[in-house]
Amino acid sequence: MRWIKDNALSLAFLVMFLLALAGQAWSGAIHYNEEQLVNGLQPVSVWAYVTSSSFAVDVAENWQSEYLQFLLFIVLTVWLVQKGSPESKQPGEEGPEADREQLVGEHAEKNSPRWARARGARLWMYSNSLGLVMGTIFVLSWLAQSVAGLAAYNSERITDLRDPVTWGWYVTSSEFWNRSLQNWQSELLAVLSMVVLSIYLRQRGSPESKPVGAPHRATSVEG
Amino acid sequence: MRSPFAVAALGLALALTAGCGVDTASPARAAARFHTAVAAHQEAAACALLTPTTAEKLPDPDETCAQALAALKLGPGGRVTGVEVWGDDAVVRMAGDTVFLHRFSGGWRVTAAGCEPRRDLPYDCEVED
Repeated sequence: MRWIKDNALSLAFLVMFLLALAGQAWSGAIHYNEEQLVNGLQPVSVWAYVTSSSFAVDVAENWQSEYLQFLLFIVLTVWLVQKGSPESKQPGEEGPEADREQLVGEHAEKNSPRWARARGARLWMYSNSLGLVMGTIFVLSWLAQSVAGLAAYNSERITDLRDPVTWGWYVTSSEFWNRSLQNWQSELLAVLSMVVLSIYLRQRGSPESKPVGAPHRATSVEG
Repeated sequence: MRSPFAVAALGLALALTAGCGVDTASPARAAARFHTAVAAHQEAAACALLTPTTAEKLPDPDETCAQALAALKLGPGGRVTGVEVWGDDAVVRMAGDTVFLHRFSGGWRVTAAGCEPRRDLPYDCEVED
């Protein structure tokens, strides 16, 4: 019980993620089968749909944009600040900061992670591990989108009595970039909204917000 | 916490969509059987290899699918030169034709045949849905 309480935030998002994914699979299969019937084709099972390229491309294109959003947020906030935003460091603190502030190397504390005490490549890797993992998942998701998207697009092209295309053709096509950019623009707008609105607006009790009574000009203050 | 899951799921997505183990022989056989039946003037058998929608749309109101197919006088298909399968759809290139097919639970069926390529446009097919 204590473990659940201590991990409630992760567990809540995990459950919501699984429910949303299941809902996407269920509703997507219904929509897909409506189109199949209109085109004189056989309906498919939910399992057949979730293992299809149509489902895979829809999932992957959303994943890549989410991980890109967090990658950019993580990396850009190292170097760029927004005065008054709780999501930003104080102006003047731009950059990777000193070892003393980051508790690495000789400044590591007793409970610091083991790799924070290391030097060289291991320290560099651990110091950037969040961005590296987010970036890797973004690249893999985008690659998965391109492969699944190619399969779904070529299936459509054959239905339309057109020749299938290659992966190289697909990743330079308007179809691929339209799928990517329509997700990117919404993610970038969401981050922009969070950074700017949190200067002036508050959510009492949330660590993503400044304390309700904190002044608008206060930067890097979380409630 | 979600990262290992995400990587595993994406690996699965890649494996599912990378086209590994695709059966190209079945659509090629279906296309060849269609052209063999047409060449042997077994139009009813050839019509049975069409998708329901294609077989329904082919004849005029006062004729059967077999009669409509015979009237088209499709040229020979010839040998299969290439097959591409994407999901439940396939295109089979033959020496004398390009045949489009869709996979049903009972096997591959022809959606279009007697097709001529047109630059930047869909194929122009004598038999299509």
